[in-house]
Amino acid sequence: MTQLQSATGPGAEAIARRGATRDARRRRRPRPSAGRVIAWVVLVVILLITIFPFYWMLRTALSSNSALYSNATSLLPVDFTWGGFARVFGLQSTEEAIAAGGSGADMNFWRYLANSVIVATGITVCQVFFSAMAAYAFSRLRWRGRNVVFGIFLLSLMVPLIFTLLPNFLLIRELGLIDTLLGIMLPGLFMAPFAIFFLRQFFLNVPLEVEEAALVDGASKVRVFFSLIIPMSSAPIATVSILTYITAWNDYFWPLMVSYTDRSRVLTVALGAFQAQSPQGGPDWSGLMAATLIAALPMIVLFACFARRIVNSIGFSGIK
Amino acid sequence: MESTRGSSAGRRSRRGRRLASAAIAAGLVGVTGCGSATAADSRTTLDYWLWEAQQLPAYEKCVDAFEAEHPDIDVRITQYGWDDYWQKLTAALVAGAGPDVFTNHLTKYPGYVTRDVLLPLDSLEATSDFDGSEFQEGLADLWRGLDGRQYGMPKDFDTIAIFYDERMLADAGMTPEDLEGLTWNPEDGGTFEDVIAHLSVDANGVRGDEEGFDPNNVVTYGLGSNGSGGDGHGQTQWSWLAGATGWTYTDAKVWAEEYNYDDPRVQAAVDWLFGLVEKGFMPPYEQIGSSPDPAQQLGSGTAALSPNGSWTIGSYTELDGVELGVASVPIGPVGHPVSMYNGLGDSISAQTENPEAAAQFVSFLGSDTCQVIVGEQGVVFPARPAGTAAAIEAFRAKGVDVAPFINLVEHQYTVLFPVTTHPADVLSILEPAMDAIYIGSRDASSLTQVNQEINSLFE
Repeated sequence: MTQLQSATGPGAEAIARRGATRDARRRRRPRPSAGRVIAWVVLVVILLITIFPFYWMLRTALSSNSALYSNATSLLPVDFTWGGFARVFGLQSTEEAIAAGGSGADMNFWRYLANSVIVATGITVCQVFFSAMAAYAFSRLRWRGRNVVFGIFLLSLMVPLIFTLLPNFLLIRELGLIDTLLGIMLPGLFMAPFAIFFLRQFFLNVPLEVEEAALVDGASKVRVFFSLIIPMSSAPIATVSILTYITAWNDYFWPLMVSYTDRSRVLTVALGAFQAQSPQGGPDWSGLMAATLIAALPMIVLFACFARRIVNSIGFSGIK
Repeated sequence: MESTRGSSAGRRSRRGRRLASAAIAAGLVGVTGCGSATAADSRTTLDYWLWEAQQLPAYEKCVDAFEAEHPDIDVRITQYGWDDYWQKLTAALVAGAGPDVFTNHLTKYPGYVTRDVLLPLDSLEATSDFDGSEFQEGLADLWRGLDGRQYGMPKDFDTIAIFYDERMLADAGMTPEDLEGLTWNPEDGGTFEDVIAHLSVDANGVRGDEEGFDPNNVVTYGLGSNGSGGDGHGQTQWSWLAGATGWTYTDAKVWAEEYNYDDPRVQAAVDWLFGLVEKGFMPPYEQIGSSPDPAQQLGSGTAALSPNGSWTIGSYTELDGVELGVASVPIGPVGHPVSMYNGLGDSISAQTENPEAAAQFVSFLGSDTCQVIVGEQGVVFPARPAGTAAAIEAFRAKGVDVAPFINLVEHQYTVLFPVTTHPADVLSILEPAMDAIYIGSRDASSLTQVNQEINSLFE
């Protein structure tokens, strides 16, 4: 419209400009155009599709197992009860839990949560720290055989975890670390090839001049690593930390192997009690959904807090 | 220059390595120090594993009673769900970190026996006087190894019957009596198929035995589905059909070296069952998926008759809005109904540090005292007659008449679960083949080829 007007002559230009500013004002307080409405509708639909599974989990978690099957399509909780959540937090007696379709397993929720936090935090802190050091060595230190060693590290990415399961388990047993949190953490405590690879790529982007300047000023390689490389790579380090934390938090099979009692049982393993316990038996659906929601909560919070960081690091440019 | 730098880095890294190893060593000392402190207890600790969560309270009571009798022994029970249980148990036994005593299953124990990870009960003092005749008929034999030694203490047994909802029968103008004495044969399905057809209802309310029934748009299937059964020799799916033709899995009772899946009788039974899918009388594979739940099908009204094992009674009694009834599986060509008869047992790991204490515990698990405690819980049928009686009573108190499960055992109208070597390999061959038959991409005559594959395992 403005283009058309501007084409009619200089006198019309003022009107056009006014029109443009009016347009701009209108854009600030937009009258919903058809396109906008469609865009919003699409957005809302996608949002609903995304949120619906979570709602369905909540709805199932607040239903009682016995009534669930006969009202499978009800959008609202069926025969509303907090029982599912009570079972997750171990607030129901064994008899009550079994009567409500749960398992007879004891739930020591806060203990498992603490164990999970310790394990995930321990693995994240140590793994990221050591992997960053290794990544620095692979990207900035020159030593004989560096690329060969790096190649071997990358190769280990291709070894399926199931191959290392038994050897690792035997080692942990020989070390006397069975049923300890350290035993659960140990295989992931030192390094992860992915983290090394990921961080190495970022460290390679840190300009050599910056590092050389620091070296000329008398900084040691260690100093360079701590005061230059790490601060300059905080975004990718945050990303890799979050990824590591989530992986460690979600890990199921290894903690299942190593933990024997409550003292080292992590949340994911403990929540296995809500799956089907015997063949041909159904799971405790409401307990399972309550458990899944609770277990996912820390991850959701983590994402909510750090989502921008993750996105930022993807567009990380190297120099700011 | 390159070389000097290299050597200084080498020196530094060597120092680092020494530091690191010192740190690790210090850490280990600390950890093992803790470990030995707890182990330095004068009492013997036994680890006992089981998978059935519903039975946990009963076994906790058993353990309390056992510990009262044996103050020097501590028993620690650990429970994992079925899938986790076997994964963890197998890996733990390989690594030498398994439990002292654990609940064992007939599909798994032959593998453990051949790998020498179980202690024969008769080699231990407390269980040396093992007498198989104290248990329900035939259960003890299932746990006798190829070498004739006893590798499991009979714990409980299970059979198959059919669950139904009386209200659904009433809607169809039927009474529970109509489900008594049904006959079945693989050719036309007998009166059993008539009932299944009548109980099937399509979206227009037309019943399966009426004109205009739409098999592609069924709301209620006459017979519920529990999958293809390839993962457990059709235990709840078709063992009771094939068994009622007079067929048995193997010729020898236990430790046979040949399976009979090439027998036309089992193939006819399987063809009949999965032929129901096309008729719209049973849910198709794509509808129930890889983890079917027959109790859910009954509860949601998707299926009218739900054949299942006695260990799942609890899942049915808790269904809301279902007037639960239990009927016997149908009478087959042999002239009576037949159920699979499967038993669980408690085994002692060869890795236990306290075999005698473990044997004392296993002996107690196989005693009337413990099995009556378990029976009173009303979850499974304990292997000792006194325990079975307690369970029948407990189920009656819950309003379930379990006679259809028990009667077949009393008359010995049962087919035993196949106990052979290579149990895992056999099932890994059978499962995809059965799935293919259920899906409809093959018919049951393909089992002849499957049987050859299975039997070649034993050559």
